[in-house]
Amino acid sequence: MATSITIEDLHGYLDEALSDEMSSKVEKALRESVPLRAALARLMDERERGEHSMGAIWRRQRLTCPSREDLGNLVMGILDDAHAEYIQFHIKTIGCGYCQSNLIDLQERNKETKNHTTQRRQKMFASSAGFLPKRK
Amino acid sequence: MPSESDKLLVQEIRQGDTEAWQRLIDRYEGRLLAFARRRLSDRSQAEDIVQETFVGFLNSLPNYDQERDLQTYLFTIAAHKLTDYLRKLGRHPLQHIPDGQEFFEGKTDHRPRVSSMARSRERVVLEESALTEALESILTGWRDQNDYVRIKVMELLMVAGWSNKDVADHLNIKDQQVANIRFAAVRKITEMIQEAGLPADIFPGLQQDPVAEGTHE
Repeated sequence: MATSITIEDLHGYLDEALSDEMSSKVEKALRESVPLRAALARLMDERERGEHSMGAIWRRQRLTCPSREDLGNLVMGILDDAHAEYIQFHIKTIGCGYCQSNLIDLQERNKETKNHTTQRRQKMFASSAGFLPKRK
Repeated sequence: MPSESDKLLVQEIRQGDTEAWQRLIDRYEGRLLAFARRRLSDRSQAEDIVQETFVGFLNSLPNYDQERDLQTYLFTIAAHKLTDYLRKLGRHPLQHIPDGQEFFEGKTDHRPRVSSMARSRERVVLEESALTEALESILTGWRDQNDYVRIKVMELLMVAGWSNKDVADHLNIKDQQVANIRFAAVRKITEMIQEAGLPADIFPGLQQDPVAEGTHE
């Protein structure tokens, strides 16, 4: 298994697309390695010039992210083994931050009290509804 | 692709429907909060990021392309809000973004650094779109066959940036099998990019490994 930080990991880090574990790993490596920080600076220049990374496009377009329904089925344990194993691979090995967040949300929905969630969402609504377009 | 339910929701929000706005919050707040909490241990800070994401979404609504996946769009706004916040805390290397710059409240939903790009943003978007279409076509074929090995190989090579050997070791398959999968996929993607009238060499990941040539399946 690859243990070093790859250029694609740096792209994922810059896009905030990595899992918490992967983000921490990259952040730690960046703190400790001057060459890695130099590689990150070069990468940022390349991105500024509009140069492509297939990995960054793949993550950005979420080409292999499972659907929310599939993640829900994973939580309920009703996916076939091969599909479930692939989703775990996508989240853990690839370190997809979007799918990890979806999975955590689905797991927490089962645990969190409804009252607490409703209160928090009403607060979100109250603080943002003023920005809605005027009703036509 | 956005779901019909999301499309309808956005249409209602565009009409100023407050109930639709509450439904959008109910649908997406949890996953956005989990996304922010990956990087912020303080729950109230993470909630602030989500709140700013929703406000950013409403401010960008006149420019939001409804053909774009809503969840991906919201995650992208949240990622920018998070990056900006972490940068202010000194925890992120993106130092060149001016303070308080709003990524999504201008005319576009892409990062506004167009003037400094060597190639036009339109060109970059066109190239990205051609690559996305090619990859989706290949991945759909593999998914239909439940061919998770090929998907994993390409994801580890392209998205994680691993070497052929690391991929082979991790998946417990032969190096040559990895090389062959890569060769066949890269050849197909290259053909599709070229059919779209674009040069394939703009994508660094499409350089063929000479060792695999002539041995592909």
